[in-house]
Order: sequence, then structure tokens, then C-alpha cells
Amino acid sequence: MTKFTVNDRPVQYRMDPETPLLWALRDASNLTGAKYGCGTGDCGACTVDIDGQAVRSCQVSIRETEGRFVTTIEGLSPDRGHPLQQVFAADNVSQCGYCVPGMIMAAAVLLKRNNDPGDEEIDAAITNICRCGIYPRLRGAIRRAGRIMRGEEQVEAAPPPGVKPEDAARTVPALRRP
Amino acid sequence: MGRAPRKAADRIEQLKGVNRRTLLVGAGASAGLLLAWGIWPRTYRPNLNAAPDETVVNAFLKIDNAGRIIVIVPQSEMGQGVTTLLPQILADELGADWRTVGVQSAPISPLYANTLLAKQWLASDWSRLMGGAGDWAIDQYATRRALMLTGSGTSVPMFQEAYREAGAAARVLLCQAAAARWDLPWESCDISNGIISDGGQRTLKIGEVAAEAADFDLPEILPFRQGQADRLAGRDLPRLDTPSKIDGSHNFAGDVRLPDMLFASIRQGPIGDAVLAKVNEQPAKSVTGFLKLVRNERWVAAVATNWWAANKALDLSDPVFELRGPPVSSASIDAALEGAFSGSAGQRLYSQGDLKPLFDNATILASEFTVASGLHLALEPMCATARVSDDMVEIWMPTQAPALARAAIADALDVGEGSVTLYPLHAGGSFGRKMDFEAGVQAALIAREMGRSVQLLWSRLEDVIHDRPSAPAHARMAAKLGRNGTIEGWLAKVAAPCAMTQTWDRIAHGKLPHEASRDSARTSTRLAVAGMELPYALPNWAVDHYPADTGLPLGFTRANAHLHGAFITESFIDELAHQAGIEALSFRIQMLGGNSRLARCLTTVGAMGGWQGGIEGSGQGLAVHVMNGAYAAVMVEAALDGGKLSVGRIVAAIDGGEQVNPDIARQQVESGLIYGLALAMGASVPYANSMPARAILRRMDLPRLADIGEVTVELIRSTAAPAGLGDIGAPPVAPAIANALFTVTGQRFRNLPILSRT
Repeated sequence: MTKFTVNDRPVQYRMDPETPLLWALRDASNLTGAKYGCGTGDCGACTVDIDGQAVRSCQVSIRETEGRFVTTIEGLSPDRGHPLQQVFAADNVSQCGYCVPGMIMAAAVLLKRNNDPGDEEIDAAITNICRCGIYPRLRGAIRRAGRIMRGEEQVEAAPPPGVKPEDAARTVPALRRP
Repeated sequence: MGRAPRKAADRIEQLKGVNRRTLLVGAGASAGLLLAWGIWPRTYRPNLNAAPDETVVNAFLKIDNAGRIIVIVPQSEMGQGVTTLLPQILADELGADWRTVGVQSAPISPLYANTLLAKQWLASDWSRLMGGAGDWAIDQYATRRALMLTGSGTSVPMFQEAYREAGAAARVLLCQAAAARWDLPWESCDISNGIISDGGQRTLKIGEVAAEAADFDLPEILPFRQGQADRLAGRDLPRLDTPSKIDGSHNFAGDVRLPDMLFASIRQGPIGDAVLAKVNEQPAKSVTGFLKLVRNERWVAAVATNWWAANKALDLSDPVFELRGPPVSSASIDAALEGAFSGSAGQRLYSQGDLKPLFDNATILASEFTVASGLHLALEPMCATARVSDDMVEIWMPTQAPALARAAIADALDVGEGSVTLYPLHAGGSFGRKMDFEAGVQAALIAREMGRSVQLLWSRLEDVIHDRPSAPAHARMAAKLGRNGTIEGWLAKVAAPCAMTQTWDRIAHGKLPHEASRDSARTSTRLAVAGMELPYALPNWAVDHYPADTGLPLGFTRANAHLHGAFITESFIDELAHQAGIEALSFRIQMLGGNSRLARCLTTVGAMGGWQGGIEGSGQGLAVHVMNGAYAAVMVEAALDGGKLSVGRIVAAIDGGEQVNPDIARQQVESGLIYGLALAMGASVPYANSMPARAILRRMDLPRLADIGEVTVELIRSTAAPAGLGDIGAPPVAPAIANALFTVTGQRFRNLPILSRT
């Protein structure tokens, strides 16, 4: 029995129940936002939200996920509108981008519980590995996202996905309507 | 390369009875080039595809009728921001609105050859071979072979003029088209924020005249844009790759999904000359979704309907390999390096003044250093997706050398290069690792055997075993101090294999990793000691290189030989400063007479970091480095906390010339600093029995957020030519840390990783 909820949709996987959640998400559901980086729970690139906890999805099987609620980066917001996504864009945090979905999911779980975390809490919650070295911008970005959640600050929005050419032409004088 | 060059190459092969490889390799190259000269085309036309509403302006730019600026980028995006930087240069010169700019990957063409990196890579050997004609020959070779390469921070220095000219050409053509409508001289028109104006009230959108613009001719002399209003260069514009990287929608090679696609995991055996001996398919069959084992002489892959099943089946099938030759171990690597000092292949590669009379009967200060191989450990393991049909091969993969990758894939499948299409994807980190492309070749072979699309993803274990790390090195340093505390003589003897030569032998000449490791061990080369060229004006100094065969296949890396070069050089400089009784910053400054840019970095970092003179107990350390037109001074504050390295602060002052996007420049320096920190802490493994002793990421001592203190990067304002800044941050971090630890422990840390063998 491997029935649970992914991004608010009920799913049942016809796979070996010992399959790690990561591979059910990636290879069966084509939710490829969660990444494989190590398979040993060390890098955190596969982090998803399960019932409000940040979980390394390579370390939990779909059998163990039975009946639970899973949120992946794809389900975090419909329009890149989560404060963390906005700040990652505004502060130019991401580099290669491979670790970023896991970083954002781990940070999102932290901020959901405490939108004003101190450095030690941030360090304890974000044990993900980044090889490009986004770390110097990371604590500041998470704190800034917290300020946005608390209504103390706003950032210029990163463009949402799927902007229609007509809408783009309405906003950007240089563009013509197709 | 396009169709015509391929045919020409085939003809040569038929005429001379030699294959393309032997024609164009090493010593054969001069003869090969002379033969080929008459047959190869001298000019190349863009081979871009265009949709019906798109106009190809030139090899770097398409514009569509809506006014979208589609910039063509041949360079591999690995996080360094190149798919923003090159478009920004073009868009600035064109006068575009940044919100209308997009990027497409370039097809393979000689127009995108990176002759600058080719020269850096091949010059030391070819110049010797061909004298003054060496640079010309490399240009020709790189262009004809369409050597598209990304690495060593060459992208902006190599292509900035091309993108400026492409933007300027588009601006002129669009102005000509608009001026024709208005019946004006085109010189009176201009473009700003994507709008063409006649200098008065009349305006047109770029998209309205894009199609007509292609019919005009460019003037003899291309005018560049004047004035500072509405310029895009020099601004912190948002990266174009950010949106898809914050919502999980960006497709890396492992995220490609094709109809009916299968997943594969691979095992290639231990390090060295290993061949597959046996593998047991029976237990693998118990895995749900498992389909087949695909065997090759040197690897075996399991294929299944999901990757976890494939990898599990591979484990259960328990592949056994036979290793020919002695196994690699840390001890054998060290022995090879020590043995190299007494070998006959050593050569003096840098020499200034005369050391011999100076060193005879004098008091010489000497120290020995060791540097372990540093692993790339990009978070994205090697990965490629392939679809192979009778007449077409398609590969999705990240690659720093797409033309060579395509050639290797065509060669492996025994098809013409023209029937192989390579879709270059962004790399999930690379740091040089994706200069090699074995996963692409393997994926294509597996897909052909399966008769279905296959995605091959290396496991982390496989990625660590076959990481192709940076070069290990042993150094014997000697120096003589003068009475006034200056360095009168400096001699560096460095035993190290050349990782860049090995990489080239693999990717351009098709050598197997162990062959490349062995064959490069006979020749000394500046590439192996590039980071030891002194930025200081010393009267007498020399660098000797002793090539070595450690048996460990090495690869292209961020900063390459500069990693060990800077560690050895800047650690030893610090020892000499201490011996001379001179404070370490002043000691360096006094030797930087002719190097005002580096001196400025050093004084800036001292002021910003609150340099206390490196006094005992301060925990502060300094290091400088210069490479490829970039200058860096780094100050750190470090301590040993219960035997663990802790780095509370890193301050860097960088002069990288005039940067098109200063925030991306800062980001790249930060990235390099953290990479350097990782090498100081770990990112390295011992080897035993031709296997790494550890392969789990947790045991690689990589920095995590909790290990990062305050990181400050100051870019020094400069009008000098821009340098790529991806590399410069990495080399000076480890020596600065080693120097800082001396002030708190009184002990010198002469090994890298710093706490590896104290």
C-alpha cells in the first residue's frame, strides 16, 4: 500500500514499496525538482516537506510515506511567489541551482515554524550541501524571507512562469503583440 | 562542425590512410595542418536554426518579430553566470530592454571555438614544437575542430568583443531599417530600452523592423554605442537562469523526460586499467522494474524503469573487475611523487637571475609541502540522457567541450558526427569535471543496446571513485634571505602530474584514463606548476617541475594547478616573512614594486579586514594570488576548535578589471572562496586498493552553512580588461588559513587539506 498525497493530489505508486520517495517523485511522477546528490541523506538536494517536516526524500521509502502529505518544490507555490523564492531571486543567491530546491524546502519548513529564526536555528535547519558556495548569501536571504512573511519588507517580484506574450507586451514597451 | 568540414576530413582520411585522430594530435599536428589547409573552408556561416518569425542577425543573435532578443551562447552554464554575462554585453551594445533578452545554446560550429582556452591549454607544448607559429597553429586547429570549450575563466575575455560587435551590428542594421522607413540617414537613429528612435518623436519597436534589418549591409567600421544613459553594462542585472532554478522547473540532464525512457546506473570498477571480469544477472532479476544488464569491456550498466531499481539491480549483480597493473593507493601516490624528484624528466620551467652562486655555501631556509588531490564533488553526478535511432543520435548532457563530446559519441557508435545532435544543458555544478564526457558516450551505447531512450545517472559512489580530481603535489622549497629581510633567492621544486594534459589526452585524443595518466608522466609542463609563477619582483628565482605518474587519473579543475601553486608559494612566503622578522603584509608589499594592482588588493584587504600584523594569537592570515588577469588578496581569521578547523571570517579584495555584472562577479569570488575553504578542510580522500577509502558525502569534510562565518568581497574599481573571476577566489584561501593557524599554534601547516597529516 503506497497511497499518499503529493502536492495536494492523491497518488498511489505501483512500485516496490521500498523505493525511496525521491525516485517515486522523480521517475514515476516526473516531479524532478527534488534532486539526487548522494542517496545517503547528506546533501539535502532531495529535501521535501512531509507533514510539516523537512525530510531527505532519498531516506524514506514510499511504504513509510503511506497516508502522509508530501509537498515538493513544485507544490511550494504556483508562481514562484513564496518569500524564499522571491528573495533567492532578489539577492541573486542561486548559482548552478542544483541544490536550490532542497535548500528552499528546508528553509521553508524552518520559516513555517518560526519566521524570525536566529543564526543558530538557521544553521541547525540548513545542513544541506552546496558546492558552488551560495552559503555567504544564505542566512541573510532566509532572514529576509522571514521579514517578508512578517510583513516588514517587500521585494521586487521575480517573474512568474507562463507569462503570455500579450501580457508581456502590455508591460514591456519594447515588445510587440505577436 | 558542419557538413562540409566533415566531408573534407573524411577525404583526408581516405587520401592519406590515417584517421582523424592521428592527423591532428600532438607531433602529427603540424603536418596535418599543412595537408588540411587547402581543403578546409576559411570562413564559416552561422548554422543557426530560426523559427519563421525569427531573424538570424549573426552567429550570436536572433531577433523575433515580437522584439525578443535571443542571444546564442556557446559556453556551458555551470552556475558561473555566463548565460547572463555574454547576453548582457550584447544587450548593452544593442540598446535592448533586459526584460526582452533570452538565451539559446549554440550549435556546434567553428564560429564558437574558444581559441583563448585552447592556447592556454596547448601553448606550452605546441610553441616548443612549432616555434613562433605555435599560436597561429593552435588558432587554426581550435577553429577548424570547432573547439568549443568552457573553463579557466576564459568565456568573457574570449567572447566579449564578439558579443559587443554582434550587438553593435544589430543596432546598426535595425537603425538602417528604421531610417529607410523614415527616409533619414541611419546615423541619426539610436536604440534605447529596445525602442528605435529618429532622435526626435518617431519611434519603432525592434520587432517591427527585425526582418527587414537582415537585408542591409554593415558599414566598414562598426560604431560602438556612445553615452552612458540606459546602459546595461556594469549593472547588477538579474541572472537569466534564476527563475527556473528557484521553482524546480529547470531541467538538468537527469530531469529530461522522454517518452518510454528507461533509467540506468553504471559500475566501472576500480581506478586504473580495469576490465569487467564477471557479473551475475540472476539476483538482479528479482528487482521490480529491472530490465537488463548492458555489458561493456570496462563497465556494466543496469537498466530499469526507475533509477533506484537500476542501481539496486546493479548492486545485486555484484560486478567483479580485473585490475591490470598495480593498484593505486595514497602510499603509491606519495611514493611516485617523491620518486619523481630523482627521476630524469624534471626541468626548470621558470628562471630569473642565477641561483647557483647565491645558494652555494649560504644559509638556506627550506620547507616541504604536500597537497592531496582535491575532489570536484559537484552535487549533480555525471549524467546524460540519450535517444538513438537508426539515423539519429540525440544526447542531452552538460558539457564543457561539446564538439569533442559529440565526436567521441559519434566515434563510439561508429556514425558520422553529423548524425549526432548534442543538446547542451546547464551543469549542476562542475568545477571542471564536465570537461570529460564519458557519461554521454555510455548513455548513447546503452540506449542503442536497449532500443529505447535511456537516462544514465552515475551513483554518488561511482562519481567519487571516478572523480578525476585535481593534481596531488609535493614541493621542496628553498630560499635565501638577505640582510635587510628581502628574499634574495627562491627555488621551488615541484613534483606533480599534469591534470590538464591528462584531461586533454582523454577528451581530444580518446585515451583511457590510465593511459592518459601514464603517458603524461614523461614531460614537464608549465601547466602543472602554473600557480607558482611569482607575482613578486625577486632578483633570483626558479621553478622546477618533476612530472610523475601517480596512477590516479586527474582532471580539469577550478583553478587547476593554481590550487597547489598558491598554497605552496604563499605558505612559504609567510614562513620567510616570519624568519625575516617582518610583518607579513609589508613583507609582501615591499616585493610588489611593479605590481600595483596586487599591492592595492593587499592594502585594501588589510584595511577592510583590520589586519593586526599577523601577531601571535591573532588568528589572522594573508595570502595573495594572480591568475589569468585577476588579482586577489585574501585575509582570514581561523582557529582550531577542539581539533577542528574553524574559519570565522574571510575577507577578499579582488581586481578583475571592468566587470559587466558586478554582483555576479562578487558571487563568483564568493564561490571560489568557499571552494578554496572546502579544499582546506577536506574535499579529498585517501586511496587504498585502487578505491577511495571513503565515498559518502558526509565524510568528505565539505563546509556546510554552520562552517561559514562572515564572508566579505570587495571588488576594486578598475578599467582594465575584464577577467573571469570563477577561479581566483579558490587558490589563496588555504594558504591564508595555514598562515592564520601559525599565529595561534606556533606550528606550520604544510599539508593540504590542512589537518590531513599534521
